[in-house]
Amino acid sequence: MNGTSSEEQLLEFLYACPVGLIECDRAGEIAMMNPHAMQHLLPLAGPRDSSNLFKALEEHAPELRSIVADYGPATGKICDGHRIFVDLGPGRRAQAPKVLGCTVMKLGVDRLMVTLADISEQVVQEERLRQADSWFATLVDGTNEYAALTITADGLITSANACFTRQTGYDCAAVTGRNLADVLDTDPAGAALRLSEQVKIAGRDGWHLQEGWQRRADGGRYWCQRLVVARSDHADDPRPSGFSVILRDVPGREGAAEDMRRLLTCDHLTGASNRRHFSQIMEREQTHWREVRQPLSLILLDLDHFKTVNDTHGHPVGDILLRRVAEVCTMLLPPRGVFARLGGEEFGALLPRRDNDQAIGLAEAMRTAIGAIEVDMPRGPLTVSASLGCATLDEAGGSIDALIALADERLYAAKRAGRNRVYRSDAHAA
Amino acid sequence: MLNTQANFDAISVDDLESMGGDARDALPFGVVGFGADTVVQTYNATEARMSGLDPATVIGVPFFDAVAQCMNNFMVAQRFDDEPVLDAIVPYVLTLRMRPTKVRLRLLARPDAPRRYILIER
Repeated sequence: MNGTSSEEQLLEFLYACPVGLIECDRAGEIAMMNPHAMQHLLPLAGPRDSSNLFKALEEHAPELRSIVADYGPATGKICDGHRIFVDLGPGRRAQAPKVLGCTVMKLGVDRLMVTLADISEQVVQEERLRQADSWFATLVDGTNEYAALTITADGLITSANACFTRQTGYDCAAVTGRNLADVLDTDPAGAALRLSEQVKIAGRDGWHLQEGWQRRADGGRYWCQRLVVARSDHADDPRPSGFSVILRDVPGREGAAEDMRRLLTCDHLTGASNRRHFSQIMEREQTHWREVRQPLSLILLDLDHFKTVNDTHGHPVGDILLRRVAEVCTMLLPPRGVFARLGGEEFGALLPRRDNDQAIGLAEAMRTAIGAIEVDMPRGPLTVSASLGCATLDEAGGSIDALIALADERLYAAKRAGRNRVYRSDAHAA
Repeated sequence: MLNTQANFDAISVDDLESMGGDARDALPFGVVGFGADTVVQTYNATEARMSGLDPATVIGVPFFDAVAQCMNNFMVAQRFDDEPVLDAIVPYVLTLRMRPTKVRLRLLARPDAPRRYILIER
């Protein structure tokens, strides 16, 4: 064996393993881990404790703790390739987002085996496949189900199939030459993007798929999946020469697609948007802000002394509070507003078409609503307060990183000023 | 002189370069010396004891890929890329024998020195 012991060989093998391996107890306290696991965990942990898996991932995957806690069986696979997106924050760059895949096996009551692997490349490839898939699916599933149109780069209809007539009630021959945006009447109050906005995104990204209410010619409405795909007729010119539009009547929005969408975009515990979805929406709204120059505001919200709640009353009680906070804040959102859980007890609200005064007004309303939450405990009701900071993309010079940093700075100024308050500059306080 | 050399905070790149293998092995902290290509050239006995690895298997391999992946991030490896002159002490957590272990790292680099060094103090 050339003098190398089998223990040394085993250590060499584990030091060099290009996948992160971690063994911990059910509270996340790490007993063993290899260097690859530490390579990912240490930067994510920041100032938090890197020797506890859940604490180290508290900011980027707060849901992991509850996923593990909610798992009933004595042993088995708790999650397989659970995705942790680490693309939000000051380190975010233009390159593909970094995604970690996390698998957790329960080996016994108090023993977890965890793997961590960088799957960023894989996610990028999947994205590409999904694009192709959603497009091919519309072709393969048959034209009866799908209204298909082609439009020019300016949105004028050049052709529409017979299904378009069956689905919307508009004569497919008569609409040729008209602007599709005038024909389609989407619910303006809904979260759905306008057709012109979809076309802009498809022009940039190649395609865009969304769901929303759509009106028929007779005034009735239906839940519609709308796919816009850019066409390029000239190989040497990358600019789209027109777009294909596919409309699909999806009866019942509680369908599998909605479940899947919720799974991918929502925080496991609170049902608020997750970090990754929030980050995507921010980028989309930033593009929109650049194009239409309507205000865009961000509120960052952090619960005060929340660690004490968890330490004193346990995580299940903390979880109830987090759910209630998400519930009351989501109720206050304006149309197109998005409320997301960004970390353990940190939340964010993105407010398109809302200026700083409106954002501060809403932040005050959220602070009041959070202050009114009571969780019944044996020794009397448990209450919580929040500190909030607002910023606009205009103030941040159009940079998302600067927007987050500014709102964060103000959030901490609110904390320093005594907590349970919305940060106001001197100009606003006067 | 001897006191300075044995001191984690004070020892210099020149001290390490001029030292014999036995003297490096006698230091109370781990010493890893590697070239600009990250390939390990020296690995002292203290470090071998802490990591459980035989220096003969570590010498000649790319350090951040094969042995110290936990330092292969912006906190350590990237700094050697970005800072030609480097003398910094960072609190860190290594996985020596797969156990999370709090350590202090001292990162040493100078453009005119043949080797860069990481010193590890438990």
